[in-house]
Amino acid sequence: MAEKNYYTVDPLGKLMCMKCRVPLEKGKAKFLYLDNGFPVELPVCPRCGFVYVPEELALGKVQAVERALEDK
Amino acid sequence: MFLEERESTHVYKQQVMFSKEELERRESLCVHEEPAYCNAACPLKLDTKAMVKAVAAGDWAKALQLYEKITPFPHILSAGCEAPCEGKCKLCQLGEGVAIRELERAVVRFGEKIRRGLPRMKKKKTVAIFGSGLFCTFLAGELNKKAYPVTVFCREDSAEEFLSRETAFVPAEGMAASAAVLKGMDIQFRFGSDPADMESLRRDFDIVCCQWGLAEVSDGDNALMYSREKKLVTGQTTGVLDAAFGAKKAALTVDRLAQNLDPSNTRGEEGSVSTRLYTDLSEVPPSRRLIGGEPCTKEQAEAEAARCIQCTCDACVKACAYLQHYRKFPRTLTREIYNNVNIIMGDHMMNKPINACSLCGQCSVVCPNGYDVAEICHIARQTLVTTGKMPLAPHEFALMDMLFSNGEAFLCRPQPGFEKCRYVFFPGCQATAIAPDTVAAAYADLCARLDGGVALMLGCCGAICDWAGRYEMYDEARAFLDAQLEKLGDPIVIAGCPTCKKELSGHGGLKLTGIWDILNEIGLPETARGMEVPAALHDACGARGDEPTQQAIRNLAEAMGCALVDTPYDRDQSPCCGYGGLTQYTNREVAKAMTRKCLERSDLPYISYCMACRDRFAREGRESRHILELVYGTNAGSPPDISQKRYNRLSLKAELLREIWNEETQEVDIGFKIEYTPEVLRLMNDRMILKSDIIGVLQELRKTGEAVLDAETGLCVARARLGNVTFWVKYEEIEDGYRVCGAYSHRMSVIRRQG
Ligand code: SF4
Ligand code: SF4
Ligand SMILES: [Zn+2]
Repeated sequence: MAEKNYYTVDPLGKLMCMKCRVPLEKGKAKFLYLDNGFPVELPVCPRCGFVYVPEELALGKVQAVERALEDK
Repeated sequence: MFLEERESTHVYKQQVMFSKEELERRESLCVHEEPAYCNAACPLKLDTKAMVKAVAAGDWAKALQLYEKITPFPHILSAGCEAPCEGKCKLCQLGEGVAIRELERAVVRFGEKIRRGLPRMKKKKTVAIFGSGLFCTFLAGELNKKAYPVTVFCREDSAEEFLSRETAFVPAEGMAASAAVLKGMDIQFRFGSDPADMESLRRDFDIVCCQWGLAEVSDGDNALMYSREKKLVTGQTTGVLDAAFGAKKAALTVDRLAQNLDPSNTRGEEGSVSTRLYTDLSEVPPSRRLIGGEPCTKEQAEAEAARCIQCTCDACVKACAYLQHYRKFPRTLTREIYNNVNIIMGDHMMNKPINACSLCGQCSVVCPNGYDVAEICHIARQTLVTTGKMPLAPHEFALMDMLFSNGEAFLCRPQPGFEKCRYVFFPGCQATAIAPDTVAAAYADLCARLDGGVALMLGCCGAICDWAGRYEMYDEARAFLDAQLEKLGDPIVIAGCPTCKKELSGHGGLKLTGIWDILNEIGLPETARGMEVPAALHDACGARGDEPTQQAIRNLAEAMGCALVDTPYDRDQSPCCGYGGLTQYTNREVAKAMTRKCLERSDLPYISYCMACRDRFAREGRESRHILELVYGTNAGSPPDISQKRYNRLSLKAELLREIWNEETQEVDIGFKIEYTPEVLRLMNDRMILKSDIIGVLQELRKTGEAVLDAETGLCVARARLGNVTFWVKYEEIEDGYRVCGAYSHRMSVIRRQG
């Protein structure tokens, strides 16, 4: 069974790792906060492993989850 | 330097704010739920206030419904009620109280009757009433309402005749209407019988009631309306209201007897009560009655009812933007906070309100009973810190700012030429951030005009961590400041800010004064110049309860020629500008509402004596000056952004070190250039991202080369984890450095995962 992903961002070939000079790919990542983990799919550099968190995601979903956990 | 993130959500510790008894003690201070004066006076428990309100709104059906709740015979009661409520009406203190009795009569005249529900099942126990008169009439009605099978034995020959005893005061229409009501009741009448035959007739009934005097009773009890000796429900009454009240008590006694209980059993509160309600009349104009004597028209009655001020206590909510925002009275708020803080698992949904209070204590002054919401929120914060449930996020920026003030930006030096000083000037962290020139001028003036040496201490008094509930951090800050003061020879602290003065007064044995007191003593410097136009003086919430400070500021302002205009909520009652309690950081919306509430008191320019007030008022677009700016002829101008505030502190420190102590501060050269678009500076201020955070990210970028190029925008994005936050910076490369075009952050950390 496929593992649940809380969120998926596809780089659609528009993002490039500056260090490795290769396009980012959709890859497996995980957000961690106050001892809670959330599997997600984000743009990741296939070579160095850089995980990119786009602004919309950071200020949207990520912030909402942070707020909710902070009051747990 | 970083702070430790709050504990895991899976750690559960318990700690209560205070005991249940303490909770009840605090809650009981609030009189908001106490009955209105008129309601409390009515032995029949009429909701007078609601009835008068319904009349004022033209809702006559509702008014009648409320009135019928207390009596089966509204025409009789309203015609003769002595209306003890009228004398208790709060408006009596200003002029004439509401004509409640006339309104009741109007309600009975004009109120359309709402259809009753289906008749209820009759009770099993049978009741007999012997005699007639007001008590018996009302009792028959009360028992009918309670669904007892009632039989009335009376001398009279008809319902009309039965009603006519003791009711001469009731007008003919009222009598006719009452007879119709009586006939509509399910009551058996034995007209023309001799009540004196009670002894022989009573054995067929479970419970027997009678007119007072029908039997010889030596143990009459007017509280229960019962003679145990004769097993008779009876009692002496005087007047209509007393008869109606007696009938109510008697009906309750019948209830108890029907259940084979002692009549004194569980009766609850009967009759009129005392009330602790407080109602502020300061804004109520005196007025006179609009009706009386003649029966009034509907319109006249509605106008009279509209005079009612619907007595309630809302002094706190009226004054406080925070309570208004949450639409809660302190009592409810306290209960919800208490219960929520004490839960071990689940959502702490009261965290937001707990952290949005400015802890200013205005409530405790405007409340007639000193209800102190600030103290409750403060204890709640400390408790959450203890249990590890206090989120760091809302307070982190402010706490870091304090560490900065007492770290990198901290300065403590004796006046040159003195080893120990008689004084130390402590301007406070907001003054150095917002008005560094004013601080420099003030210090120079104090050094020049005071004997014995004036040391300087630039730092934070600890209010920030105190407000955040971080009591351990506060103790550390206090110990740190005390150690510094000791090194200076325990000088007299000259506070530049009333909140600092208040916080420092908690350090045992410290000698403390305000710069305003010194200036009143030594006189104003030549630079002092009042404002050209009249201004409103805003008292700092930090000076609440400190009358000498409030007065000293006024004296200074007046000595400079300021024309001060009085505003509501001044001195001890002054509201907080929105900075206090860290509201500015935890809830911008509430903080803004607080600032506006301060400013709605006057359209004039504001003079304040706390730099945070000066800053927030200016931010709202009001002409706003700190008293020390007027004293020293300085003007801090438009409010600085968050990075500017830090820069101001550092550069003030460097400037003073250079000019007074001949010490050069090494400027750190980061080795590359950074440009900011105006747009990103606004964004950073809004998102609480400092220039130092941007530098941190770019330094990390230069070390690792890690960044992403976004083909869509053409911008690169780099990131760094600084403390508990990951910052992202959007930039483009320029010669020798970067142009920053965007910035954002999040607290969650992100890692790659396998599978
Ligand atoms: S001021 Fe507020 S807290 Fe105090 S009694 Fe009135 S309603 Fe209650
Ligand atoms: S003003 Fe209104 S609410 Fe207050 S005591 Fe008078 S009638 Fe009652
Ligand atoms: Zn890479």
